[in-house]
Formats: sequence, C-alpha cells, structure tokens
Amino acid sequence: MKLNRTSFSAAAILLASVALPGISHATVTVLGWPGGSEETALRATVEAYNAQSGIADADKVELLFFNRDGFYDKLQADMAAGSNAFDVNLVATYSIGRYAPYMEPVDLGADAGKVFGESVLKTMQFDGKQYGVPTDLSLHFMYYRKDLVDALMQDDAAKKKYAEIAKEHLGKDLQPKDPDSWTWDDWAATTLYFSKQVNSDSPVRYGTVLQMKNLLFNMMVFQSLPRSYGADWTDKDGNVTVDSDAYKTGLELYRKLYDAGASPKDSLSYEYAETNAAFGAGQAATALQWNAAAADLTNAEKTPAVAAVTGIVAPPAGPNGRADHIHGLGLGLNKNAKNKEGAVKFLKWLATEDAALLYARSGGSPALAPDVAAKVSNERPDLVKLGEFASQYGYVMNGATSANALSIYELQAKEFTGYWAGQQSLEDALAHTKTGMQDLLKK
Amino acid sequence: MAIVNRAEGRAYLTPLVGFLLFFLGFPAAVNLVYSISTVSFETLRSPSLTGFGNYAAVLADREFWGAVSFSMRFGVLTALAECLIGLFLAVFLTPLLARRSYLMAPLMLPLMVAPAMIGLMYRLVLHEFAGPVPYYLFEWFGDSPAFLDVDNAFRTLLVVEILQWTPFAFLLFYMAYAAIPLEVREAASLDGASALKALWWIELPLMLPTLVIAFFIRFIDGFRVFDNVYALTGSGAGGSTTSLSIYIYQAFFKGGAIGKAVAASVVLFLASLAVLYGLNWITGRGRR
Repeated sequence: MKLNRTSFSAAAILLASVALPGISHATVTVLGWPGGSEETALRATVEAYNAQSGIADADKVELLFFNRDGFYDKLQADMAAGSNAFDVNLVATYSIGRYAPYMEPVDLGADAGKVFGESVLKTMQFDGKQYGVPTDLSLHFMYYRKDLVDALMQDDAAKKKYAEIAKEHLGKDLQPKDPDSWTWDDWAATTLYFSKQVNSDSPVRYGTVLQMKNLLFNMMVFQSLPRSYGADWTDKDGNVTVDSDAYKTGLELYRKLYDAGASPKDSLSYEYAETNAAFGAGQAATALQWNAAAADLTNAEKTPAVAAVTGIVAPPAGPNGRADHIHGLGLGLNKNAKNKEGAVKFLKWLATEDAALLYARSGGSPALAPDVAAKVSNERPDLVKLGEFASQYGYVMNGATSANALSIYELQAKEFTGYWAGQQSLEDALAHTKTGMQDLLKK
Repeated sequence: MAIVNRAEGRAYLTPLVGFLLFFLGFPAAVNLVYSISTVSFETLRSPSLTGFGNYAAVLADREFWGAVSFSMRFGVLTALAECLIGLFLAVFLTPLLARRSYLMAPLMLPLMVAPAMIGLMYRLVLHEFAGPVPYYLFEWFGDSPAFLDVDNAFRTLLVVEILQWTPFAFLLFYMAYAAIPLEVREAASLDGASALKALWWIELPLMLPTLVIAFFIRFIDGFRVFDNVYALTGSGAGGSTTSLSIYIYQAFFKGGAIGKAVAASVVLFLASLAVLYGLNWITGRGRR
C-alpha cells in the first residue's frame, strides 16, 4: 500500500512537472529555424524577452524546433492542415507567397524601417503587406585565396601563362586583377589558371568549387552570374525571360568551367557542405558561397588550412555591374494562432533596435541599417559587410516571392543541372524552364 | 464441430477489418479522389473533380518514364546482385558459421543502419576532399573518379544498395541452406554426386521458394528506393537518379502538383498489383 501511494505521488509529480510549465508559462509558441546560429540567437533573444518585467505569463514565449531536412515541406503540410501548434512561424523571402494564405500580415510600426531599412523589410513582404520580421539575411560572398592571387599578381611568368589560358579557353585578352575588381571573365580565367587539368603547375587542384547539385538553393548561388548580365525571371509585363542571352551566358560559363576541370568532377552532387569542405581543404582557389560560411572558413580552428589566407569580396561584375542574391529568414504570424495578441506583441518587440542588436550579438545575421550596424561593428564586423553588399548589390528576381517561387527554383535546378550534366541541350533546358515557369507563375 | 462459429469469427475479425479500412482504405479513397481532381495545398479540403487529366499528364511526362526506367533497372539489378552474392556467401560460409555462429552478427551489421544514414555516410566517404576512398586513390594513383557524376552515379548507387542489403539475402539463403536435411546430402554423396552437382540438382531446387521470395522482396525494396538515393545524389546528376518514389515526392512537395503526384502513385499501385498477381500466378503454376 505504501508503495502504491509512493508510486501515485511520483506519477503525480511527474505529470505536474511535464504539464504545468505549459499551462503556467509560455503561451506564445514560436517555430524557429533549427540548428545553426539562427537557433542560438533566437534562444538568447527569447530568453531576454521572457525576462522582461512587463511580459505577462500568458504572453511568454516558448520555442519549437524540428529538423531542417524537409522543413518547408513539413511546414507546408502543417499550415495547410490549419495547425495551431505554433503562433509564430518561420518564413523566408522565397516562400512568403506559398505561406501567405495561412498567415496574417503584421504592422511592425514606423521604427522597424529605421532598424532594418526599407529594402530589407521588403524581403518579408508579399502583395505589399508585411508578413514578418526579418531576422537573418543571406547573400553570397566570393571567397578566394589571397596567397595564391597575390603570388599570381607578382609573377611575370605566371601572368603570361594566365593570359595564354584566358585567350585559349575564353578567347579574351585578360590580365590578373585584384579580386575586388573582377568581372566574371576575370574570375573564369583565374579559375582556369588554378586548375591542374588546365595548368599542371597550379598549386591547387581546382580553380573553384561550383555547386551544381539538383537543389533549389544552388540556383540562388548561380543566378547572380546571369543577373549581372541583366537576367530576370520576367520582364515588367510579366513575360518569362529565362531564355535570355544573360541566362545562356551564365549557364554556358558554368558548363565550360566544369568541362574544363576547373571545378571538382563530383560538382554535380555538391552543395553548401561540399563546397566548404573543398575550399577548406586548400584545394580550390575560389568559391562562390553563402555568407554563413564566412565564420567557418575564416576560423583557424575549424579551417586551419586556409583560414588565414581567405579573402572575401562581393560576387564579380558583369556588364550590368555586380549582383548579389539576397533573401531573408524571418518570423511571422500564423493565421490560426491561439494567442495572436501575444504573438504580435513579441513580433513588434523583435523589430525594435534593442532586440535586433541582441539578436546580432547572440550570433544571428540580421541586415541592419548602417547606423544600427555600427553599434555592433566591433563584435560583428561581418554584419557591416553583409549590410554593405545587400544595400549595394542585393536583388530579388521578379516573381521570386510569388506563391510558386520555390517550385520555380526547383524547376530551374532540375533543368539547369540537366544541361550541366550533359543530359539535355541548352536550348531544351531553357525551353522546358520557360514553359514550366509560365505555368507556375500563372497559377 | 468448428472451434469458432461464424458469428464469433466475424466478431473477432471486425476490429481488424475496421482498422484496415480506416488506416488503409481512407487514404486510398482520398488518393483516388485527388488523382482526378485539381487540388493544391490551399484546396486540400475542397478539391474540384476534373477527370483524368492528371493521369494523362503523368503518362505524357518524359520524367515519369525516366523514373520508371531508373526504378526498374535499379530494382532488377540490385535484387539480382544481392541474391547471387548472398547465395554465394551462404553456400561458402555455412561450414564456417556452423562452427563460429558469432560471425553472423558483424555480417548483419549493415542491416542495422537506416538507408538515409547510409546515403549520408557515402556522401562523406566518397567526397573528394573529406572521404577516405578518393584520398587513397589520389595517394596511390594520382587521380580519383567522379563517383557521383552522370556517368557513374547509377553504378555507385547500385554498389551502395548492394553492400547494404546483400546480408538480408544472405540471411534468408543461409537459413534455407542450413535447413536442408543432412540425409539428403549424404544420399547424393553415396550416389556419387559431386558437390557442384549436388548444389545444382538438389540444394538449389530445395531452396527455390526462398530464392524467389528473396528476389522479389529485394526487387520491391529496390524499385521503391528513396532514402539513400535522395541523401546521396538528390535525384542528380541532372535528374539521372530520379526513382519513382523521388518523382512522386518532388511532384507533390517541390512542384506542388498534388493531383499529378497522386495519379503517379495510383499508377505505381496498379503496376505493383499487376506484378504481385503475376508473381502469384507464376508460383501457383509452379506448384501445379
């Protein structure tokens, strides 16, 4: 009997410990982007929010994370089913249109523009309405080996060889340049020069690491190249323009470099992680890669082979100047939220300068207005570069926040990688993409 | 007198039938409706019936037939290789395993790993800059092939699948081989049959049901492959490794073409049913 009473008490305590926190505390549930710096920063920021004296127990925030793999598919299924398991959910620039029917716009107040800048707030807008607070911005850096490029610039024999390679493979008279003034042709010539297959004297195996896997995110990395030649998904009248000369130039350059051996043979299965591994191994001279990789590639403990000699510039220029794909991750309001009032209160707070600075100091990558970024420039110098590149070269393709933007990226990934892999001609790839995009943008 | 009368039998079966109808019948019915509807994630609860356009779109889609071809080749080749290697191992390792049965445990280890983990593992193992295989190939021969390019991806995936699932075929064949009565083998030996003749004329015929079942289980698994292929090549290179399961997944989630994806799954279901009935007919004819 005593045992039974003890068991009963233990079970009651266990149940209470599991159930009570849910009842007495967090009633605003936030579904965040799991893993990485975003989760770390969000945890720290939410902790500070909950610790404020003016926040009622009923409005305290609880975090919810699930796996990154298939995140958007799971979110899609949950939201389409009308889930109210979370009040605030993650949203990204390229998926706003897809999730907007299940979300409610939020008014972040006039000060949000001063904290983030209007162009960054736009990454969370759809049909002119604000659907979220921009928490993290992603764009691309051109990473390069300073030691290799410096050696090339100082060696006359190497310069001669470089010019010969540029003439033979690209048909152009080019000389080595400082990476910050590269055009895409300069970059291509440099990658060919640093490829063993083209130049057996190259100190590294490859000139670059192209991300050519059939993956939508790889299209975002690629498209800054055609964009700098004037590419867009549609013209101002809404006609699909993916079969433009700009896209052809970009696609052909990737194919030419891959076929010439300037990128690893398995590049057709490469994405973010493989590119980091290749560049980090010291066997590639350049890599067009996400800004998120900067922390690892310049960290001597994580990447000892190249951390000290890794330089970072914006992507090279085309005839239309430089272009850098930007998209934001943010948090917005679920239409079926159980505690809308509490959720809006949290989102408004998240858009304040104090919250944005706290998020930045905790490891997040918010794109902040220059005067706000200056306040964390000592702790986060990379955020200054992020803001600078985003404001000078950042772009969003026409239609890239539409309901089917993700599907369009998927379509491009399938067709473009099919061309790079030699599975279909350039004309076929572009024709299939154009037809598919017309259908997807019409829906 | 029957142990259980008809009414009791029905009463006992009702929960099972109810369970099957609810958990299998309901999704199947929903699938059939979606397959003849125009439906999106926004209209999941109110699809509009539009006829057989989704089926026409699937059957006219070159990628669907590419995926069917990949799945068929992958299923047949992996099942064949796994059964042949499994049979070879069963015949040659049985004497050793009879004395040292603990060796069975390490042989079964690959079966313990989730296919998606196998895909991730080989992504690392075959990576030119992080993987041990390319590292040693560069060390010894100065070069390493592109394991996952358009020419080699299919072969690489075959090897990965075969390495993981051959132990399954081996396990079945080992049990069947070991179950053959010793007297049968002794009688054959007394009649002067060589080991090879005994294998061909006596042991293999006795193992035939197991061989057929193992082949079809492995074929079905190979045909519907998803996890390891998706983790390793993501349907690349250039879409050359898109299995039927990956095609359906991509059409549903990535393309948002729910009706088309579901129509493809219904086609797959009907084809599977035809194969199973065909198999049943063949084995039934064999017994007669």
